[in-house]
Amino acid sequence: MMPTFTPEQEEFREEVCELLCEDAVRDEIAQARRAPFGQEPGLLDVHRRLGKLGRLATNWPERYGGAGRTIVDKAILTEEMIRHGVPENVHSLGIDIVGNAIHLFGTEEQKERFLPGLARGEITANVLFSEPDVGSDLASLTTRAEPDGENWRLYGRKIYNMKAQHSDFALCAARTSTGPVNFSGITLFLVPLKSIGMIIEPVWNLSEERFDLVTLDGIRVGAEDVLGEVGDGWQVLNDVLPLERTGLDHSAKAERTLTALREHAPPGCEERLAELETRVRAARLLAWRCITDLHEGRPDKVHSATAKWYTSETAKALSVAAVELLGPRALLDARDPEAIAEGLFDASLREAPGLTLAQGSSEIMLFFVAGAKLGLPS
Amino acid sequence: MSGMDTAAIADFFDDELAPMVRRMADRPRTGEDSAESEAREIRKMVWQGLIGLDALDASDTAELAELLGSVLYQGPLLDTITARELLPDNDIGEAPVALAVTDEPWSVQDDRITARRAFVGFAAEVDHFLVGGVDGGGLRLALVSAGHPSITMRRYEDTGRGEAYGVEFAGTPVTTCAGSSAEWEGALAKARVRQAAYLVGLAQAALDHAVDHAKTRRQFGQPIGKFQALAFRLSELSMHIDATRLLVRDRDAAAHAAANLAAASDLARTVTTQTMQIHGAAGMLTDNDAQLYYRRAAVEAVRLGTPSQLRRESSQTR
Repeated sequence: MMPTFTPEQEEFREEVCELLCEDAVRDEIAQARRAPFGQEPGLLDVHRRLGKLGRLATNWPERYGGAGRTIVDKAILTEEMIRHGVPENVHSLGIDIVGNAIHLFGTEEQKERFLPGLARGEITANVLFSEPDVGSDLASLTTRAEPDGENWRLYGRKIYNMKAQHSDFALCAARTSTGPVNFSGITLFLVPLKSIGMIIEPVWNLSEERFDLVTLDGIRVGAEDVLGEVGDGWQVLNDVLPLERTGLDHSAKAERTLTALREHAPPGCEERLAELETRVRAARLLAWRCITDLHEGRPDKVHSATAKWYTSETAKALSVAAVELLGPRALLDARDPEAIAEGLFDASLREAPGLTLAQGSSEIMLFFVAGAKLGLPS
Repeated sequence: MSGMDTAAIADFFDDELAPMVRRMADRPRTGEDSAESEAREIRKMVWQGLIGLDALDASDTAELAELLGSVLYQGPLLDTITARELLPDNDIGEAPVALAVTDEPWSVQDDRITARRAFVGFAAEVDHFLVGGVDGGGLRLALVSAGHPSITMRRYEDTGRGEAYGVEFAGTPVTTCAGSSAEWEGALAKARVRQAAYLVGLAQAALDHAVDHAKTRRQFGQPIGKFQALAFRLSELSMHIDATRLLVRDRDAAAHAAANLAAASDLARTVTTQTMQIHGAAGMLTDNDAQLYYRRAAVEAVRLGTPSQLRRESSQTR
């Protein structure tokens, strides 16, 4: 449910909003949205500004570049960044997924090596999980890590990841041993992306952001680059992935589409808008329930699966509904001089299919809830 | 009508041509200029092929439209059929026409039109525009020659990445006046029946694409189509397509044209969205047709009115 925000949290939200509403920040965001296709930006000045103020990974300790605030403050930041249209994938990959995984499972050396740079908005990271034939069934991944003295060499291909071209390193899942059980023998590595033995190629797709095909051609990593225990990657994946799934990013996106839709919808759409508005409110409540769970130290996998499913399906429904209600003009791209809402509806329509696939598809969420919540036999 | 049936056209769109037709008006975001002129050549060839097969005189234009939807045909054929229905005595021959009709104001002075029309298809490739607009005399239509220098146009950057234009008529001379408001209503109903049929064809092709994928893609040690959650969803979509096809093919389809088109619009958007989901991230790739169906459905589903406009119209006229 919705937490009651303290005056300090409200003040934090106001400060963040103030910064995000500055002309220079708004210009930078608008420019990023109109960037020629294929030239999407990586980290922006706004990330670096927030980073310098200790707000980007605000829930991390000060020694790691944060401000020692709570996960609630971090969620407020995420929500406002998306509401204000800051492209969020660089941020969510670097801070919320990779950074958090290091924060939770990394050695002190790894934390010192990576977290301050991530928190200041100076470096960023992405994930290398999916492979050309491995998506939802992640346990069947085939990228392998071969021992090389004290070190490891990685071989394999990773696809459907984003921002590899802008990232300094990646969290990569690879197989360190094979056995009768698929999910044993998977290890997570922190892999430098800008080095020999890493080939990054663009894979063009429907959305505004390219996928990357990353070929690991024997890149060497050391024992100090293993995140968690060797062979224990699956457990980390199972603890990390749910953290991605508060659904707050999707609920904030849905809200943003709804706000623009309200502004542009012709008369006669009131009932449909009311229905969508209710759905968006419910999505936000589910997301914030997960934040509260995390804040109180009792993360709940059923809650997070519910939130991921509901919020991503809602964000997708909003994108599809916008075209239904607004007609062809909703389809104009940000680069068209007649675009409405700065091309938001077109961009979100093209982003929508990915929302219910990435970070655990809707089907995986449904499967999990059927078993874990309803107790149905699988 | 001469009663040309569509079997020959179905043969024309064979396994070799159909993939080219699907992409002949899709500008890749990372494309080169040479690809565009090549695509224009293919469109020209397809137009000539269709004219050679008497597509303009098809006895069952809804069946023809469904066939066109199934290969994602894009071009002026359906607009031209509508224009010919409105101008039976006019000698537009087999020249391509684009519709530029809305119930928005225009000004006509000394038989010259001044108006701006949005989302006109293939404006750069037609010989005539059938322009419509509203003034003191209600909605009226006029045919103008596309080559006139008073006409300017701009192609949109949009989700469809196709050939949709904003067209400006600045004192364009009228070639001939074409039809009253009532005649337009009748022609629009028929055009909507065809658009609904086109969307049914599009939905069927998208579903076929999803079914193929579900049969071959393996996850968790089996083809994903073996999971009932997916199999049942595909069955359900197939039955919805079946039902909508009957609505659109029914003999009184024109009387329900607006409501039927709204249903076909919902169908096409639902089926193509599910086709994306079933394909997973692979469906998003530029060279996968799943994303093409998804984008085309978004464009085609609102071409002749949004579902809410269509339903409102339908409830007001019944």
